[in-house]
Amino acid sequence: MTGPKILTADWDKPQSWSLDTYRAGGGYQALAKALKMQPQQIVDEVVKSNLRGRGGAGFPTGMKWNFVRKETSFPKYLVVNADEGEPGTFKDREILLRSPHMFLEGLIIGCYAIECHLTYVYCRGEFRESAMARLEKAIEEARAAGYIGKNILGSGLDVEVHAVYGAGAYICGEETALLESLEGRKGYPRLKPPFPANAGGGLFKQPTAVNNVETLANMPAIVTMGGDEFSRLGLVPKNGGTRLYAVSGHVKKPGVYEAPMGISFKALLDEYCGGMRQGSTLKAIIPGGASSAVMTAAEADWASDFDTLKAKKTMAGSGAVVYLDQSVNMAQALANLMHFFAHESCGQCTPCREGTAWLSRLLDKIVAGKGEKQDVDNVHQIARQMEMKTICALADGAAMPAKSYIEKFRADFDALVRG
Amino acid sequence: MISLGTQAGTVESPFTPEQQQRFDAGLDRAIAGYPSERRKAALLAALHLAQDELGWLSEPAMAYVAFRLDVPPVRVREVATFYTMYRLRPVGRHHIGVCNSISCWAMGAEDVLRQCSEILGIRPGETSGDGHFSLEEVACLAACGRAPAVLVNNYAFFENVTADSLKALIRDLREQPGKAMAKGPLPRLPDPHARIESQSAPQATGTLGQPAVTTRAEAGSAEPKR
Repeated sequence: MTGPKILTADWDKPQSWSLDTYRAGGGYQALAKALKMQPQQIVDEVVKSNLRGRGGAGFPTGMKWNFVRKETSFPKYLVVNADEGEPGTFKDREILLRSPHMFLEGLIIGCYAIECHLTYVYCRGEFRESAMARLEKAIEEARAAGYIGKNILGSGLDVEVHAVYGAGAYICGEETALLESLEGRKGYPRLKPPFPANAGGGLFKQPTAVNNVETLANMPAIVTMGGDEFSRLGLVPKNGGTRLYAVSGHVKKPGVYEAPMGISFKALLDEYCGGMRQGSTLKAIIPGGASSAVMTAAEADWASDFDTLKAKKTMAGSGAVVYLDQSVNMAQALANLMHFFAHESCGQCTPCREGTAWLSRLLDKIVAGKGEKQDVDNVHQIARQMEMKTICALADGAAMPAKSYIEKFRADFDALVRG
Repeated sequence: MISLGTQAGTVESPFTPEQQQRFDAGLDRAIAGYPSERRKAALLAALHLAQDELGWLSEPAMAYVAFRLDVPPVRVREVATFYTMYRLRPVGRHHIGVCNSISCWAMGAEDVLRQCSEILGIRPGETSGDGHFSLEEVACLAACGRAPAVLVNNYAFFENVTADSLKALIRDLREQPGKAMAKGPLPRLPDPHARIESQSAPQATGTLGQPAVTTRAEAGSAEPKR
C-alpha cells in the first residue's frame, strides 16, 4: 500500500484498539491541543481542511458545524451516525474495531467545536456484541483517563458519550430517520427544512450535527497538521484528506484501504487490491455503495472524489467500491439491489414504497426469463418517475442504479427477455 | 375514535425475578442516557432488553414495556414491527441470518442460503420442527470485504463462509444443549470481548483482506451464557 496513513496508522499494531497503543502513537495529544484553541478556530481549520462527510452525501463538515454554531438555542447535540448499512460499506465497523480511540478523540474535539456536552453514537444493533463492545470498552478507558466526563483535561469541558442501538433498519442511516429512531420512534425521515443543524430540526428539536464515524476520526489529524496540510492530502480540489475505501467483489484482496481522496478506480484496484482475481475480467464498478450509478470497466480511470463523480452522474457515496467481473449479469445484480431497496423502503412516501416494490417485481420477472423488452423500458421509466419526489433520498438511491444499469448494460437485460 | 392513551393501572411483568433485575438495571441505564424529560426515547433500548431476556417480543412483553415507559401500546407495536431485529414470534434456538446483499450475492450468498436450507430442511422464514434452527435472508451486514457473511442470533458474525465452514458452524450449533427459543432466552455470546480479541488478533486480521477468521472454536463459542 502507498500513500499517507492517517486513519489506519495503528491498524497493524498489536492491540491497536487499546488506549495504550493509541497513546503510544501520540493519541489524545490533538485533544489537548484543541482544548487550548477557541472552538471557532477548530471549525475554521475543518473548513480549510475541505473534509467532506464520509457517510455518503459528501457535505463539507466545517460548513455543517458553522451552521450549528450560528444557532443560539442550547443545548446543541452531536450525533454520530454509526448505522453502517449501505450495501458494500464496511469501513466504520473496522474503525470501531481497530481504532476506537481515534474516533473518540475526534468526537470529543467535535463536541468542543460545536459546544455540545451530550453526544450519542447511534449504531446498528448487529454491532452490539462486536464492534460496539470494543467502542464501549474504549469509552470506559477514555473516561477513566479523563478524556470523557467532567472537566476534560482540566479545561472545564464536560462531555458525556452514550451508545444507542438501532434494531435493523437501513433507513435509520438517513440522518433525520436516525434522529427519529434515537428519540424512540420508527425511522421515518423528516421533512426538511428545518435541517438537523437548525433549531427545530435536530435531536429533540435542538441544533444537531450528525456526523459519520470516519468523518470524526479525521479530526485529530486536522487539529495536529492544520486544515491546509490535511486538504493537500486529497488529489482533487475541495476534497481533502485520505479516505477509507471499502473494496469488495471479485478482487484479489478485498478489504478496507486508506488512499488519497480522489484516487482513480483503476489505481485503487491495481495498487491496493492486487487487481482482479485469477480468471476475472473487470466488467462493472459500483463506485459508492448500492445507491450509486454503476460504471463500466472503460470508466475505471475516473477519479473517486465527490465532485468528479457527481459531474459524471454518479456519486462517491460511502466509499464502498464493488468490482464485478464478467460472470455477473447486471440485470440479476439490479434485481438483487432492488430486493434490498424494496425491503428497506420505510413506506412513508408513495413513489418510493410502490416504486421500489414495482421495480423489484418487474426485475424478478425479467430475471426469471418471463419478461419482454417493454418491461426493461418500464423499469427505466418508473425509475425516472421516482426521482426527486420523496422526503428522503432512498427512492433516488434506488432509481440511480435502476437507470444506469439499463443504460450501460442493456445487453444483459435484452439477453434475458423475449422479443 | 380509538384511544391511544396508556393503559390504566399496572401491567404484569413477563420476567422472572432474575430477568427482572437485569431488565430494570438495563432500562435505568438507557433512561439515564437521555435528558430526564425524554425517558420515552429509551423505547428501542427497552425492547432490546426485553428480547434479550425472552428471546422474542410477546404481547405481554410489549404491553409491559409500554407500561414502564408510559407510552401508548400502539407506539410500542409500531416500533417493534418497524425494525427487523425484533422478533414478533419465537424463532429457532439458533437463528441464522444469511446476508444476500450485493457483495455477498456476488460471492455466492445464494449458494450459502441453499446449503443452509438443505442441511436444516427449512426455507428462509421458517423454523425447524425441533425448534433448534430458523433461517432468514438478511440485509447487508457491513462485512462485504469478507463475503459471504452469516449472522447468528442477531449479533455473532461469521465471515468468508465456505461450504465446509458453514457445515462446521451448523454442526457446532446443533451439538449445543438447547431448548426451543420460545421457552428460553436468546442465546448470548459468553464474553463478547473475548470473542473479538480472538477475531481481531493481529495475525488474523492485521493485513486486510485476509482469509477466514471464523474458526470452529469460535463457532463453538456461541454457547449460551446461562
